Amino acid sequence: MSSSEQTRGWLTEPLSARAGGRGLALIVEDDPVGRQLLSSMLRHEGFATLEAGSGPEALSLFESERPDLVFMDVVMPLMDGFETTRRIKAMSGSDFVPVIFQTALRDEESLLRGIRSGGDDVLIIPFSQAVLRARILAMERMRDLHRRIVAENQPLAELLERERQEQALAERVFSRAIKNRNVATDQLGLMQRPAAMFSGDLVLTQHLPDGGLRVLVGDFTGHGLAAAIGALPVVDAFHAMTRKGVEDLDVLAEINRKLYQLLPTDRFMAACLMSIPGSGQELRWWNAGMPSAWLRSRDALHELASHALPLGILPELPDGETPHRIGLRPGDGLLIFSDGLLEARDRTGIPFGHSRFRHLLDAWRHAHAIFPELLAALDAHCLETVPSDDIAILEIPLNAQLFAAPRIASPSSTAGGWTWSLELQDAHLGGLRSVESMLRPLGFLDGLDAHLGALETIVAELYSNALEHGILQLPSSLKSAPDGFEVYYGRRADLLEAGCTGWLCLEISHEPLAEGAEGGRLKIRLRDSGEGFEQADWVGAEASPARPWGRGIALVRELCESLTYLEGGRQVEAVYRWSSDPPLPAIPIE
Amino acid sequence: MSVIRRIDEQKSQVTIAIDGRFDFAQHKAFRDAYRDIDPKSKTFVVDLSGASYLDSSALGMLLLLRDFAGGDAGRVAISGCGEDVRRVLKIANFEKLFNLD
Repeated sequence: MSSSEQTRGWLTEPLSARAGGRGLALIVEDDPVGRQLLSSMLRHEGFATLEAGSGPEALSLFESERPDLVFMDVVMPLMDGFETTRRIKAMSGSDFVPVIFQTALRDEESLLRGIRSGGDDVLIIPFSQAVLRARILAMERMRDLHRRIVAENQPLAELLERERQEQALAERVFSRAIKNRNVATDQLGLMQRPAAMFSGDLVLTQHLPDGGLRVLVGDFTGHGLAAAIGALPVVDAFHAMTRKGVEDLDVLAEINRKLYQLLPTDRFMAACLMSIPGSGQELRWWNAGMPSAWLRSRDALHELASHALPLGILPELPDGETPHRIGLRPGDGLLIFSDGLLEARDRTGIPFGHSRFRHLLDAWRHAHAIFPELLAALDAHCLETVPSDDIAILEIPLNAQLFAAPRIASPSSTAGGWTWSLELQDAHLGGLRSVESMLRPLGFLDGLDAHLGALETIVAELYSNALEHGILQLPSSLKSAPDGFEVYYGRRADLLEAGCTGWLCLEISHEPLAEGAEGGRLKIRLRDSGEGFEQADWVGAEASPARPWGRGIALVRELCESLTYLEGGRQVEAVYRWSSDPPLPAIPIE
Repeated sequence: MSVIRRIDEQKSQVTIAIDGRFDFAQHKAFRDAYRDIDPKSKTFVVDLSGASYLDSSALGMLLLLRDFAGGDAGRVAISGCGEDVRRVLKIANFEKLFNLD
């Protein structure tokens, strides 16, 4: 017998059909006599046998031969039977390979240790052939039972795995759709805790065109795929329509319609929609089936209770419903949450509940966050529990950082009216920028590009007049001298340099034409703090083409539908009418 | 937890009584309580006097029954609501869809 065979153990006899009929048994024992005795008893029972003289040898044989049954000695050099058993059980994984300890030790301590280390039975040496037979039968019965359960569980496990993968997919779709597009999230107190992997709660935030904030907190019935499918159109509609400045009710109607079409009868979404315009002075709210939201203002605590059906139940929103309105001031705080909060149960099944929540609400002080206390109370309540429903909590502290710069991005902005104004004072009087640089970022010029040249001309001419004649009191007649223009502009620069005082107010507004007609009226008003000027200086310039000054106002008069000076020249109003017909040729600014 | 159905032939009324928690676990029993009934010949009452709790899937099941009963045409009545159950129904504004006693 070679030494290499010895380290690998050895087959005590060739496997015959009869001898191996019941399977392969591994005998682990350092005493060769005991090993051989048990080996012959097992062969008698119909087993093929393998023998290992030590723990490490047993492990290597177990790995290469995968026996059906293991007999284990307790006391061995190198590695004892307990440790060897632990490792064998770890190697066999979900397969059931019975390990039976055989020991002469009669103490209960090692009996227990044997079972604890993973052994399945203990045989006290010596034992008879009958006892061995009985134990083997019991083990085989256990093994068969185990195999049957595994076989029956297989389809179930596959089903669960597929379900898990689909949940993961839904989760991915859902969170990508939601989380990536929200705004101002660093300003909000936000907690979302899903019951399982996947949450049916959603929190959406987006800025309105005037820089204000709109928020939707929704709670779908059910979780998983249905919620994900429903969430996608909700998220799309919410963001796109909010950015365009669509009214609250129209957004809700659209979301309701989409959910009604998509979801089966028993699925819907409770939702809170809150809009705070850029002024920050008002809250418009709509509560459809969510628990009451709360507004902490300086003097009172306002309950914003559910007043409408959840979305997706009726084909259309009922007529005559309007969002509720309530005044806001800086420091006010808004709290919105899903029903998972009040229903969150502790270890003994007691819900977080209204009274506990009410207690926190009463302690909520103006201009302070309730979020940290609320979260701490919830965590303390839910210690060592797994959430049974999704929880979403959102706190909005009313402060300036919530809001974005105003923006009107839609090319259809020409369909709506707007007013923009600017006041320049003292050192800023000389620095009016181009209309384009001021209005382009606001989106007010979208669709008006063809008229921008005219608008620039009008504003520049009226501004020059107001500044030069009204505030700086420069007489146009200066320009008549041969070097008049140079003198004029030299004086202008000197006066501005020296520092002048006063104010100048420019207001540009747009009013669309009556419905059906494509176009509108741009009204340009300019007022200044100056003394006014002699209108004779420019009135009638058209009649004396040789006069070198006064062309600017004449130009404005030609471009505009009307031009009116008021208050002795301290105020002027020009009305420019545009349509989408071919525009006037671009006019260079003198 | 149980769902019990009583049919009053004289009043042509089907009463479905829910005992204990009314949640998704009752889905099948609740549906079985009405699916074999001709909705045109009967009116429906859901008796929640024994219900301790109502979750959103229960609201969904009530909507399914409402649909089955003919939507707006065949109003489904809900009776015997305790305080907690009534709160859930009120938050969802279900009094707009069902006759609440």
